[in-house]
Amino acid sequence: MVSVPASGTTPFTRSIEDAARAGRRVGTTLVGPAVLVVIAVNILPAFFGFYSSLRKIFFFGDEGFAGLDNFRSLFADPLTWEAIGRSLIFTFGALALAVPLALLAALAVRELGARGRILLTILLVPWAMSPIVVALLWKWILLPSPGGLFASILATFGMPPANLLSNPTWAMPTVIAVAVWRTFAFAAIILTAGLGQIPKDLYKAAAVDGLTAMERFSRITVPLLAPSILIVLSMLTISYFNEVQVIIGLTSGGPIHSTTTLAYQLYLTGFVELDQGRGNAIAVVMFLINLVLIVGYVQLLGNKKGGEG
Amino acid sequence: MNQGMRLTGRAALLAASALASVVVLGPIIWALSTSLKSDNHIFAVPPRLIPDEPTLMHFQRLVAEGVQWSFLNSAFYTVVSVAFAVAVGGTAGYALVRYPVPAKRALLVLFMGVMSIPSYALLLPTQVIFVRLGIFDTRLALPILYAAHVIPFAVWMTRAHFATVPRELEQAALVDGYSRFEAVWKVIIPGARPALIAAAAFGFLYAWNDYITATTMVESPDLRTLPVALIFFQGFHGRDWGALMAGVVIATLPPIVLFLVYRRYLIGGFSEGSVKG
Repeated sequence: MVSVPASGTTPFTRSIEDAARAGRRVGTTLVGPAVLVVIAVNILPAFFGFYSSLRKIFFFGDEGFAGLDNFRSLFADPLTWEAIGRSLIFTFGALALAVPLALLAALAVRELGARGRILLTILLVPWAMSPIVVALLWKWILLPSPGGLFASILATFGMPPANLLSNPTWAMPTVIAVAVWRTFAFAAIILTAGLGQIPKDLYKAAAVDGLTAMERFSRITVPLLAPSILIVLSMLTISYFNEVQVIIGLTSGGPIHSTTTLAYQLYLTGFVELDQGRGNAIAVVMFLINLVLIVGYVQLLGNKKGGEG
Repeated sequence: MNQGMRLTGRAALLAASALASVVVLGPIIWALSTSLKSDNHIFAVPPRLIPDEPTLMHFQRLVAEGVQWSFLNSAFYTVVSVAFAVAVGGTAGYALVRYPVPAKRALLVLFMGVMSIPSYALLLPTQVIFVRLGIFDTRLALPILYAAHVIPFAVWMTRAHFATVPRELEQAALVDGYSRFEAVWKVIIPGARPALIAAAAFGFLYAWNDYITATTMVESPDLRTLPVALIFFQGFHGRDWGALMAGVVIATLPPIVLFLVYRRYLIGGFSEGSVKG
């Protein structure tokens, strides 16, 4: 593949070695830029984040080594634990809503055949939108005054306008629903691909054996779809745990902290209050929780694949 | 009997699909409708979907505020970062398939691992670094960060694709007397088209739709992206829903058109990755 100059004077083995060396050199040159950019922009800041979490940094001014002070004060603050709890509620609440919806969508796409592709395209439109723009859009839909779309729908059922976003009980479910509205169809892509991998003969054989639709779903679809479901779970978990834009756009963490997740707390502490030492400590905590989640899913996925292979 | 049940099931499926489509598209269409209504029609009770006297006044209002410059900033950052990421990532993806690169396995783990690091957790240390390097609040800040996020995806999508293109094709081109450059231009790049388009479309959606990176890495009004400009506009004119929805329409049109045009590549890229990966 690397063109070897056909010089008769060089011994054959020598020219092969030269070619291999030249190949490695060209390969390294071609991969180099991508590797350098990724290390400089994705890996080094991670280390710098760990380093900064051990220092007192305010308003970009480094005031020296702080040991574990940032972490100590972080974990001594009950708001931190509440934020971690809300992050878990947000993440797993969104998963509990998104994954069944995505599964239903994927099943509908399969059943509809050619029209299924149109359905998938329609459902994916919000995924092409910006999270902050989606938040702005839903703020208008949910506006609790006459003329607002949601208020008008309530009015047709004889109900008064509801101010979901400024209600401490309803703000979190509303933010979750908006995040899911934007993202669930992305999971449907992967589940649709997974469904496509299941041999149709299995269903025919099951129908011959007299299995009901419910039995076919629980005995064929769910077990064979499990690897795709795990991929979806892992991708969405990470994405929901780190979701901040929808929260910034809809509630700014309120009312009364009811939507202040750890991701939003990081935004507030690091970027608004400019307490960058403590902010980096939050980032490190988030990073570790992410790591635990990723390793957990990889473990689950590995077991699943190993068990079937 | 069975036939009847089948038809009922089919009707229920179509009804559910139609309902889902309304829930998904309804809010977007409502925003478009609002953006075309004059102020005294926006809060009409009962609400009307089709504006009585459609007007472009809200779009003109945004132009008077200079939103078009933020639009151009967004376009600039997006185009530069996507072009760079696809070129650099595609080259790396190609080399990882065709050349004996040292530590290949470690590099693959690096690219894969980086994709699973949420970029949000890195923004704060990045901001401090950018301030110290003088990149903070410059035209370079966002292209660098967007490109770095998209490169691993471009590597993975093109790598998977090149692995399926027989290298004999390239060798034949060289034997036919094409120069290396001609072989790249006329054989390799056209062959990788679907993967390059998928990576570019993904990169476009990521860069164009970002808010959190743009709002933390850039401060000057004349460097703002469109989403950041809209949030600032909302801060000053929070009740001007006509103009705000006009902003939503302007910010949403390019990614939706891009998605509709390239949906096959995007859906294909992600479903292939999940089935093979």
